[in-house]
Amino acid sequence: MTTPLIQFRNIQKVYGSGNTEVHALWNVNLLIFPGEYCAIMGPSGSGKSTAMNMIGCLDRPTRGDYYFDSQNVALLDDHALAHIRNQKIGFVFQQFHLLPQLTAQENVELPMIYAGVGSKERHERSRAALAKVGLADRIHNRPNQLSGGQQQRVAIARAIVNRPLLLLADEPTGALDTHTTDEVLQIFEELHATGITVVIVTHEPAVARTCQRIIWFRDGEVLNDHLNPEDLGSMTAVVR
Amino acid sequence: MNLRESFRMAVKTLAANRLRSALTMLGIIIGNASVISMVGIGEGAQRFVNSELETLGPNVLFVVPGNRETRQLGSLEIPRTLVLADAEAIDRQVPSVDGVAPEASNRRLVTYRNRNANVNVVGTSPEFLTVRSFEVASGHFISDLDLQRNSQVAVIGGKLEDRLFDNGQALGKQIRVGGVSFTVIGVLEEKGSNLGLDYDEAVVIPLTTLASRLAGEQQSPYGIQVSFITVSARDRESMATAEFQITNLLRLRHNIRAEDDFYISSQDTLLTIANTITGALTLMLAAIAGISLFVGGIGIMNIMLVSVRERTQEIGLRKAIGASQDDILLQFLIEAVILSVAGGVIGTTLGVGGILLVSALSPLEAGISGSAIVLAVSISGGIGLFFGVVPARQAAKMDPIVALRSA
Repeated sequence: MTTPLIQFRNIQKVYGSGNTEVHALWNVNLLIFPGEYCAIMGPSGSGKSTAMNMIGCLDRPTRGDYYFDSQNVALLDDHALAHIRNQKIGFVFQQFHLLPQLTAQENVELPMIYAGVGSKERHERSRAALAKVGLADRIHNRPNQLSGGQQQRVAIARAIVNRPLLLLADEPTGALDTHTTDEVLQIFEELHATGITVVIVTHEPAVARTCQRIIWFRDGEVLNDHLNPEDLGSMTAVVR
Repeated sequence: MNLRESFRMAVKTLAANRLRSALTMLGIIIGNASVISMVGIGEGAQRFVNSELETLGPNVLFVVPGNRETRQLGSLEIPRTLVLADAEAIDRQVPSVDGVAPEASNRRLVTYRNRNANVNVVGTSPEFLTVRSFEVASGHFISDLDLQRNSQVAVIGGKLEDRLFDNGQALGKQIRVGGVSFTVIGVLEEKGSNLGLDYDEAVVIPLTTLASRLAGEQQSPYGIQVSFITVSARDRESMATAEFQITNLLRLRHNIRAEDDFYISSQDTLLTIANTITGALTLMLAAIAGISLFVGGIGIMNIMLVSVRERTQEIGLRKAIGASQDDILLQFLIEAVILSVAGGVIGTTLGVGGILLVSALSPLEAGISGSAIVLAVSISGGIGLFFGVVPARQAAKMDPIVALRSA
């Protein structure tokens, strides 16, 4: 049996204290193995965003243990967490979050700058990553000269340029139309085919349907962990 | 992330917000420009006063009639207590003294043919030339023989020569001073005015001639009265000795039991007083300029704080893709330091420009002080660091999740 990439053990996340305590996550146990392609779904307030922040090493659990790639995240300091985010996780956001003053290539180079990669290698790898998402001819454009779909593809190139183990996408298609949504999902599938683990947080059933596994959150707990995306219709009924 | 990359990133960010960067720098620019120019002008004033005083001649003491109090009451009734014999006694009896030049003066009408001028007529001794550091531009100065014989010879100032004669034909000419005829034997090199004494338009004649021919009222039972006596000491070290010895000699000669009827001042005491005043002036100017530098630093902090708020998403993203808190801290600190050092350099350039302008337009030789430049630029860098810390820490501590959500 392979070791899991992501392992939640009785994770609790509590915001506030005393009477105003909010349990964003309550005793969550979760395993995601390398090479999986899964969606995290759930209504707002279900804890899916908190779970995503936890998975992405942006936040630490209040109680419980989180092992990412066999490392206990709760025990790591800020530098080590930054290193994991830089080397092992690629983030894609709904609002792309490209820096407006930088060109597409410079945006893609950012994670490598924090990794201490030399400028020559940065140029080569950023070009390769942009070519992989089909933007080889747009490397010198600034974000405001690119369409929404193109900007998201630049963001994906930025996410994969350090060859991460995990691609973590937070509503990656939330700001895109159906056509560009398909393009972006197509890229995710291609990346998954190369061996990257993909986790997509979404509320769009159409997006979740493309995944192999769907994890449903409700009220800070895992409501359903399903391996068959074809049953999505009935699942929605359960939640409602 | 290494420093060079941080630096490049900061430059890019600042260049992307040119107007904001420029406005932020403005405070530091003004602060630096004022520090450099104010200190420069202050030092220029100091140098100006010093050079004015130094033209009096080196190692010079002035013996003037009347004591300190009567002189401070104003010049209405200065007692005429110094005489030529006092000067001669100082010359003979005080060993630390090199030269003595007594001076008496009167305003008289000087005429040559149809031209005339109302000028100061100064009676003195041959040593005047060395004691007061004058040069003769042409001809020669009055001699000891002239003094003994009450010769009717005159040495005139350079400007007076220009007024009375065409193209420097003064030597050997007869001029009339207060109705008495004099032969011009020399012309003094122009020296400009200092401390209100201007010899460029004066006529210098033997003191004895002045007393006998021009100024009958300046006689006293003790001999020829003089306005003041200039004494040069042998060297700088013997000035205090000379002052002490002259004081004793004159007290003896004047039979003084209580209050002195004369007063001795030296170039040194004048310099000390002047330096105290100009030093205080420089300090005051520097303090005012320092305050504007401080205010400029606060301006940087304000803008950086706003900038942190405005760039929460950028900070969140940078953290998500692998920036540690230290990386973010460094980035904002570098931005602040770049702003303040660039502002410092621009401000220094403006300050130096201001100094050059002042030097060109006024007699103040405003100095470009290297130490002031180094100090001002490093202070502004320090200010950037100091006032950059608070916003940079705020940025570093920012929660990446909150930052990324604030869309």
